[in-house]
Amino acid sequence: MSELPKKTFVITRFDPDKDQVPKTQTYEIECRPDWKVLDAINFIKDEVDPTLSHRWSCRMAVCGSCGMNVNGEPKLTCKTSLAEYGDVVEIEPLANFPIVRDLVVDFESFMEKFRSVKPWIIRAKEKAPEEGTCSQSPEELEAFRHFSMCINCMLCYAACPVVANAPEFLGPAAIALGHRYNLDSRDEGAAERNEIFRGEGTIFECSYANECSEVCPKNVDPAAAINQAKLLAVLDWAKGLVLPRKGGS
Amino acid sequence: MARSWNPHAMQPHGPARTRTAPPQVPDRFWSAPRMRRYLLFDATGLVYLLIGFVILRAVWALGDGGEAWARVLRDYRNPLYLLFHAVTLLSVIYVGVRFFGLFPKAQPPRIGPVKPPPRPVLHALLYAAWGVVTLGLLLVLGGVIA
Repeated sequence: MSELPKKTFVITRFDPDKDQVPKTQTYEIECRPDWKVLDAINFIKDEVDPTLSHRWSCRMAVCGSCGMNVNGEPKLTCKTSLAEYGDVVEIEPLANFPIVRDLVVDFESFMEKFRSVKPWIIRAKEKAPEEGTCSQSPEELEAFRHFSMCINCMLCYAACPVVANAPEFLGPAAIALGHRYNLDSRDEGAAERNEIFRGEGTIFECSYANECSEVCPKNVDPAAAINQAKLLAVLDWAKGLVLPRKGGS
Repeated sequence: MARSWNPHAMQPHGPARTRTAPPQVPDRFWSAPRMRRYLLFDATGLVYLLIGFVILRAVWALGDGGEAWARVLRDYRNPLYLLFHAVTLLSVIYVGVRFFGLFPKAQPPRIGPVKPPPRPVLHALLYAAWGVVTLGLLLVLGGVIA
């Protein structure tokens, strides 16, 4: 039987109880040609070094848990083939997030940003059951469908140069999600979200580098969402100057 | 003996938090070709700053009379000025092409009752408008249109 090719993995390690700063550790393992990057990390964890910590779950690009920086680029490791890389593969935790341990990062700040855009359907008045459901045409669904495909993998935050410079920036996934609800025909909360979007550290911080859309594994295109949101937020502001707000003073 | 059931097992931990390492800022972003293209786009801002000074000097010279204006025009024939203007032209074209590429997807699916044209049409319209404006300026500068 022919020998499997060996690859060297340079992996970031950080133990909060021992290390002041992250360091790297090198592993050399034989890799099967059909392996994804996650398969190699799991092999290292299972067979070489059980102290290595990383997140993963579904292995089919649905849960968004296994995002890491592979050779400097944010990747969903269960979707990224090892064959794309040479003999040395550097694996780091997602950039722009605090590191909890090894390849595990802290998403707390994202969860706060996520909540701040009110990612749920807001109705001025709930429909009574006897009034029927809020139906939606295929065309209305198509307006926002691809923005709802986000799996919260956070690759867009790791790729965004604005987040790197200004961590308080609301960021691509949260804005895309807020915009998704603004485009939803059943929603009546666009004015509330546009108010948030016009605040500091939100849509107008985006310099349209488009990196978020380049790295998105689900083709959500957050850069498009942010820049569409810019126009709609400005129009909403202009409308507010000449028309009274619904239910407002 | 089986361990006794802990009714608080699934409750969140108290306020203490695990110490974390600070976020790592990407240190090799410039090595990605598309990031280099973005950095080039950013760098064109410096060219616009400089051309702003060149325009200011020309406007200033207009106020200082014919001799000053003639000196500005003489300076413009200097190879360094010609090179700078060529770089400025390339910068404007580069930013324009990048903007035209990204503009169509930045349009919302509808604004009130109005739907924007399909993206390829919008893309073509931008180039058409650019062509018309450029042609118009060339005709004015060439003296064809007074």
